[in-house]
Amino acid sequence: MALLEVNDLRTHFFTREGVVQAVDGISFAVEKGKTLGIVGESGCGKSVTALSIMGLIPKPPARIVSGEVLFEGQDLTKLSEHKLEDVRGREIAMIFQDPMTSLNPTLTIGTQITETIRRHYDVPQQQANKKAIELLEEVRIPRASERLKDYPHRFSGGMRQRVMIAIALSCDPKLLIADEPTTALDVTVQASVLDLLDDLRTEHEMAMIIITHDLGVVAEASDDILVMYAGQIVEQASTLDLFDHPEHPYTEALLGALPQLEGEGIRQRRLVAIPGRPPDLIDPPAACRFAPRCRYAGNDSCTQQMPELREIRKGHWVRSAHPASERAGKRAPEATPA
Amino acid sequence: MAVSPTDVREEGIAVEPGAAPSSGVPIRQTNLWKDAWRRYIRNRAAVIAGVGFLLILLYCLLAPILSPYDPTFVDYSIAKQDPSLHHLFGTDKFGRDLFERTALGGRVSILIGFGATLAILAIGVVYGAISGFVGGRLDNGLMRFLDALYGLPYLPFAIITLAIIGRTNMWTMMIALSIASWFTTARIVRGQVISLKENDYVRAAKAVGARWYRILFRHLLPNTLGVLIIAIFLELPAVILGEAFLSFIGLGISPPDPSWGAMAQEGRGTYRTHPIEIVVPSVAIASLVMCANFIADGLRDALDPRSRKN
Repeated sequence: MALLEVNDLRTHFFTREGVVQAVDGISFAVEKGKTLGIVGESGCGKSVTALSIMGLIPKPPARIVSGEVLFEGQDLTKLSEHKLEDVRGREIAMIFQDPMTSLNPTLTIGTQITETIRRHYDVPQQQANKKAIELLEEVRIPRASERLKDYPHRFSGGMRQRVMIAIALSCDPKLLIADEPTTALDVTVQASVLDLLDDLRTEHEMAMIIITHDLGVVAEASDDILVMYAGQIVEQASTLDLFDHPEHPYTEALLGALPQLEGEGIRQRRLVAIPGRPPDLIDPPAACRFAPRCRYAGNDSCTQQMPELREIRKGHWVRSAHPASERAGKRAPEATPA
Repeated sequence: MAVSPTDVREEGIAVEPGAAPSSGVPIRQTNLWKDAWRRYIRNRAAVIAGVGFLLILLYCLLAPILSPYDPTFVDYSIAKQDPSLHHLFGTDKFGRDLFERTALGGRVSILIGFGATLAILAIGVVYGAISGFVGGRLDNGLMRFLDALYGLPYLPFAIITLAIIGRTNMWTMMIALSIASWFTTARIVRGQVISLKENDYVRAAKAVGARWYRILFRHLLPNTLGVLIIAIFLELPAVILGEAFLSFIGLGISPPDPSWGAMAQEGRGTYRTHPIEIVVPSVAIASLVMCANFIADGLRDALDPRSRKN
């Protein structure tokens, strides 16, 4: 049994303007000790997916309208808020995008770590302090025992994200959800935080979900990748397979928008942007949601009805009428630099 | 409040970790409260008001202790004296020393002022925090109820309250003055709690399983402290004025015990022949109220730099 299994999850926001189908029927599983990357552009529902798993979506206006989130076989969507609070932090922990604002400015780092520990374990303060120092050392913060008494404003962005990671790890969760963990950080700091996350995942034998809009972030860290577009999964495969043989036109386009520092990219080609913008998730079209921006969508079925998510080869799922491996003959011309 | 955001141990100068030590210039550590203090000190009006406020407090505290006179002893032979070295503010129509009686009256007025302000804060914080924290329908209901209460005129309501209680002393005055003036504080706290609730660190706390009371008492209320301090100095002058008014029309503290309002009332009869008797308590009220207002102004600029208009 997978550690986490999400089945046909639908999270909708009920707003004045209409029902926003932020997450519209997604399913995936995370095995013990594995890392799943969720990729997609802003507003595609990746964060809402994470918050739905944690039960942290803002209610109202949001509501999980259907689907289940099975964690070790237990459906989290059916748990009471009280029970869910025991799961959060203890079994599933989460780190957020902006480390500058994710720590309470009025409490010391030590307090914020030990409070989390003592929230879930009945240990004396001293033991919690010891554990906190260990955690800070583990996330490579120098002079850990002294820094325990410091307030968040004395830490840089990268260090605050390390502290957030320490807090997330304080109760040895089985699953860590990292929602854009490096987006707010410097490029140089990004790499070290990602390395740290990967090391810690191995040491603690955790499973991890990394949510990002940056394919570079998931390329190294994750075992499997799930590409989301407009609230749906459009492609799902192992990392290697996805990067080597992307099937969905959207994934291809995403990869084309990445700068390449080796190989053919060295020819200084311009980055190819994807024209248009994602559809409005209030009342989205019944057709393929990517069709208006797709280079391959012509006058065919995918502009009329939604393609199914199908397994094009073992372990590689795609939701498109025009996956790369099926259009070899009628390959569209290479995009020319504008 | 359980936690003070300031930490006096975090004093002095420290070098930012990672900063090049070779630069030679240590970076001064700062936090909200030190920053606020610096900004407050730069505001001349607020500093003068602060000093004036402290002086008035000191005067009210010390003058009765140091004065050789009996504040209630009637001696017509020295009635209606003008200020002199023996009686700095002169004497009233019963020959009592005004310097001492003004200080005593100040004690009563300020005590009632602070007492009522604290009561206002207590009610306002509880009401506002519940409303903002729970949100939804309860919030809507509580706020509509508050809107209705807003229609109540403050002083008539205080008078009616005093009439219902039927007795007048310091405690009943505090009740009467706070019962119809906690609405604004409740609204302020509600607004703060609602905006703080959206903070990332609240979400982060939820993500590690914090229960509601920890979120409320650990993450929300301590962060409203800044606006509460401002609220204290905004409410204080209103309450002190209210007390003076009630005493002046004879509903408040009654003679021979002094309060500034009651003293002004006593001096009213002789304002043509012996104006000092009404001038002294009036000036006292005015200066205290003005100081508190300027302090509130300075605090608002210091604690919320965004609201400052340069």
